[in-house]
Amino acid sequence: MESLYQYSWLIPVLPLIGGAVIGTGLITVSEATNSQKRLSAGFIVSLMGTSMVLAIALLASQFQGHEAFTGTIEWVSAGNFNLSMGYTVDHLSSLMMVIVCTVAFLVMIYTDGYMSHDAGYVRFYTYLSLFGASMLGLVVSNNLVEIYIFWELVGMCSYLLVGYWYERKPAAEAAQKAFVVNRVGDFGLLLGILGLYWCTGSFEFGTIGERLQELVNGGSIAPALAAFLAVLVFLGPVAKSAQVPLHTWLPDAMEGPTPISALIHAATMVAAGVFLVARMYPVFDHIPTVMNIIAWTGAVTAFVGATIAPTQMDLKKSMAYSTMSQLGYMVMAMGIGAYSAGMFHLMTHAYFKAMLFLCCGSAIHGMEPVVGHDPVLSQDMRLMGGLRKFMPITAITFLIGVLAISGIPPFAGFWSKDEILGAAFQANPALWAVGWITAALTAFYMFRMYLMTFEGEFKGYDMAKRKELYQIAQDKEIVLLGSGAVKAEELEGEADRSATPHESPITMALPLIILAIPATLIGFVGMPWSNFFEAFVHAPGETATVAELAAEFDMNEFVLMAGSSVAIATVGIILAFMTYMWGKIDPAAIAAKYKTVYNLSLNKWYFDEIYDRIFVQGSRRIARQIMEVDYRVVDGAVNLTGIATLVSGEGLKYLENGRAQFYALIVFAAVLLFVIVFSIT
Amino acid sequence: MTNFPWLTTTILFPIAAALLIPFIPDKDGKTVRWYALIVGLIDFALIVYAFFVGYDLNTPGLQLVERYPWIPQMGLEWSVAADGLSMPLILLTGFITTLAVMAAWPVSLKPKLFYFLILIMYGGQIAVFAVQDMLLFFLVWELELIPVYLLLSIWGGKRRLYAATKFIIYTAGGSLFILVAALAMGFYGDTTTFDMSAIAGKNFPVNMQLLLYGAFLIAYAVKLPIFPLHTWLPDAHGEATAPVHMLLAGILLKMGGYALLRMNVGMLPDAHAVFAPVLIMLGVTNIIYAALTAYAQRNLKRKVAYSSISHMGFVLIGIASFTNIGTSGAVLQMVSHGLIGASLFFLVGATYDRTHTLMLDEMGGLGKKMKKTFAMWTTCSLASLALPGMSGFVAELMVFIGLATSDAYDFRFKVVMLILAAVGAILTPIYLLSMLREMLYGPENRELVTKQNLIDSEPREVFIVACMLVPIIGIGLYPKVLTQVYDATTDSLTALMRSSVPALVQQEAATPKPSNSMAALTAPEIGSRN
Repeated sequence: MESLYQYSWLIPVLPLIGGAVIGTGLITVSEATNSQKRLSAGFIVSLMGTSMVLAIALLASQFQGHEAFTGTIEWVSAGNFNLSMGYTVDHLSSLMMVIVCTVAFLVMIYTDGYMSHDAGYVRFYTYLSLFGASMLGLVVSNNLVEIYIFWELVGMCSYLLVGYWYERKPAAEAAQKAFVVNRVGDFGLLLGILGLYWCTGSFEFGTIGERLQELVNGGSIAPALAAFLAVLVFLGPVAKSAQVPLHTWLPDAMEGPTPISALIHAATMVAAGVFLVARMYPVFDHIPTVMNIIAWTGAVTAFVGATIAPTQMDLKKSMAYSTMSQLGYMVMAMGIGAYSAGMFHLMTHAYFKAMLFLCCGSAIHGMEPVVGHDPVLSQDMRLMGGLRKFMPITAITFLIGVLAISGIPPFAGFWSKDEILGAAFQANPALWAVGWITAALTAFYMFRMYLMTFEGEFKGYDMAKRKELYQIAQDKEIVLLGSGAVKAEELEGEADRSATPHESPITMALPLIILAIPATLIGFVGMPWSNFFEAFVHAPGETATVAELAAEFDMNEFVLMAGSSVAIATVGIILAFMTYMWGKIDPAAIAAKYKTVYNLSLNKWYFDEIYDRIFVQGSRRIARQIMEVDYRVVDGAVNLTGIATLVSGEGLKYLENGRAQFYALIVFAAVLLFVIVFSIT
Repeated sequence: MTNFPWLTTTILFPIAAALLIPFIPDKDGKTVRWYALIVGLIDFALIVYAFFVGYDLNTPGLQLVERYPWIPQMGLEWSVAADGLSMPLILLTGFITTLAVMAAWPVSLKPKLFYFLILIMYGGQIAVFAVQDMLLFFLVWELELIPVYLLLSIWGGKRRLYAATKFIIYTAGGSLFILVAALAMGFYGDTTTFDMSAIAGKNFPVNMQLLLYGAFLIAYAVKLPIFPLHTWLPDAHGEATAPVHMLLAGILLKMGGYALLRMNVGMLPDAHAVFAPVLIMLGVTNIIYAALTAYAQRNLKRKVAYSSISHMGFVLIGIASFTNIGTSGAVLQMVSHGLIGASLFFLVGATYDRTHTLMLDEMGGLGKKMKKTFAMWTTCSLASLALPGMSGFVAELMVFIGLATSDAYDFRFKVVMLILAAVGAILTPIYLLSMLREMLYGPENRELVTKQNLIDSEPREVFIVACMLVPIIGIGLYPKVLTQVYDATTDSLTALMRSSVPALVQQEAATPKPSNSMAALTAPEIGSRN
């Protein structure tokens, strides 16, 4: 067993090797590498598979009660300053490793089907592998600097993958936006790390917590300063986990290919923020102000996300807002001290949301033969409908995911969300109320998505609709007619009814089926009366066993809480059926009646517009002004001096008349002057 | 073998080889470039071997010392040596210059003169980092300008004469201050000497130190460059060809940082204690001001030139942090930027060869046809915006930690400066990624595609960038590789700096160990918490 721990650093390193080898191949011998598609992909997938096996073995070993393990290596040293890097295998990291590895492995298999016709197939696998390595590095990190390193690296992978279709203007913009918005969060994280190091002299989570506590109690640090530093650190998770107000990058990031939306922007990377909060728990836990800020940030995010999702027509964007909302739940859980519940939701969400995204990808893939390879058409729910007939596997797995996220027992999401809401009720009923209403909205918009996509009539042949959608996209300068995948003339005339949506190939369907298992069943590890999950993952400093937790369990309370959340979810579901299935409610009429609310939701609470006005335009203006100053004032002064010397030079020219006697006279005068000056002094 | 004059050999070998160039029978410049490349490689190998056999990493002082009286009447000595400050920069010089020769492969105008000048510069730049005599330093510093001036004025762009003249006036004007200060230092006191170590041993009165410090600062501020003496750089860079770019960004700028550490800090520590806050403020100004200007620039070369200025701000902050880690970070930033800056400028040149325009508005969608160039641009830009795993990140992080943990400044000053410097970390990706987006992403620019033949990078170009990426990533993954090379020197330099700040001396006397105890910092243990 020990050797397993000695070599556990291989888990992040194996995918790194895969990415590095194939990446080097792409740069040096691109034709050869690209022609060996399956070989390259197979190499990368098998390395990830090996990592997965190792990770599962470690989780099993940790579950049996093996001690945590840490390995370090000195990384930088300067005088009395030393910084080590290393890896830690404990309960939290082994669990995260398994989540990351399994989802990444399945997404990689799925990718083979989804990206099979793409020219950049091998490049995509390389990025995926690099992402896997970075994400695994993040979860095994044993100090804050190391976390920051991998934190940025996953951001880089996200940048590369969002901008994967680099010829598309929206993709290019979304990639940059994702990176820059995350840098804003990292700005806080970096300052927070530096500040905490300055106060406590450590980068290590537990030590920082202890020392900060001592310093605050001893009065050498003001509590406000400690809280300020903790909030700075929390800015990192706010950006990474798409919390209000730094969430705007996540929906745009859906420009990336769907497999990475599933892996990075749903299951793993965006959950890294929650993971960091968990790691920093020893610091946050002692500062109630910060815990409150965290809890409310999460609650607000959950609510905002859930209010935007119901009006979005793009399948993936709608799903992105749902991710944002669910991340809000997790962050809220961390803020109210429900550490275990937050991590539990992270795990269940990783599985069911990855599956939902892969289903979206499958649906989009199925739509493409009908409407063409353009996200403007292939992702729009107004052109879908009735897909269940064409793609039953996708539809059933999607439905499982929808039930799970809506919190319907016995699916996974029920157990984790219920635990969060229960804890919220005890901590602060106002937070619970926000979460409870969000649960209704969640059930409503998730069933809306399911019904619009998979039930009813297929609307893909509606040419007028297609043209209208294309026109809107064109007005927003998202696409230029003629330059994209869809040609202008294709939008004229009758639709080709011989092309129908199709079920996805086995490489895509199989991961869906496999993911449906945890999406259905994994909640059972965290049933409140036999909570193996909490016994395994709980806040540092607390101890709990299954038996103890079961003893604390109160059946009446559980029935009351679970009953209320299932009831509200049911209301949401019924409303969704009435609107999008049975036609009892007309969504257009509602939208017209509550125009302000509808526009607020449709325009995503105007965050993008406000940010554009203030930050984007503002920074451009300042930059231009500074450049003008640099050119006219700073450089201008220099050139002015230049002109002045030129002018005086022109004047002096008349002293140079070429006669030797005149020069001799000047020299003589100068010598005389020197002699006089020196003899006086 | 240890008595062999290694450094003198590495300086004189390329110069002697350059003198032979006129006699090489070569019509079209095909032979001479191979000749220059081989000379460059041999000299680089000599440098590496010299340090390998003759340099002990644990000794902070000068090593490989050579002294020969040159003009004894003037007290002028040919004295060269290397310590932890010189050594990485000499290595960098050999590395970058050799790659620059390779980057100059397509040069067809007067190739003999071109390679002659490059080889002269090769020796001259090593000399700048190696000489240990103030007058000699002034001489090589000046001599070094001539080849750069010629390289700029003959092979540059349209406004090359303006740029070259501006460059020469700026730097020559700056170096006058070096001469005056060097003479003043040499003649001060009982003994007249220009030996750097001897001068460092002299005790100058504080007022004189301040004057001398100011004079040096002006000279080196031009070179580094520091706001507001930076405006020659975008002009010079805007007109230079790719290989000259690489030398300018890769090595010439580092001469300023090197001299600041060697003279301002090493010889005038009392004045440094007074000037340090100014340096930090200038550094922060550099970072933000140049980053914003870079963002607004529409010309690719000037954009990258301003990014160089911005990154040099970190060197200043590191120098003025009064901490080991900060000083170490400053040196690392110099080496790291030497590599990253050179690779970015090389890419600018490679791109210009294809597009024949530098205006971003006339580009767009280049990535489609130039996939390898795209990959290299992305990697180097990410390195430049301090992505972890690459050297720039480590350097900036060390500077940040240095400033944050510095006990020489009061809390408020530190907080404000840290926040402002960190704003730079937001601005840098904004302008670099915007640049990538406008240049490489998006739909292809129709006009450009039809007019120009956009071929992807050739293996030579990939090789050059790869050569620079290997150390960039190597240092990024395991910075100790480089930091241990100069640690001993920067530590003793920091100790010198700290000894001249009374408050720090008192503090250290009161507590035997500075601020945080050492044990806490080594190998943080997580243990079994669960």
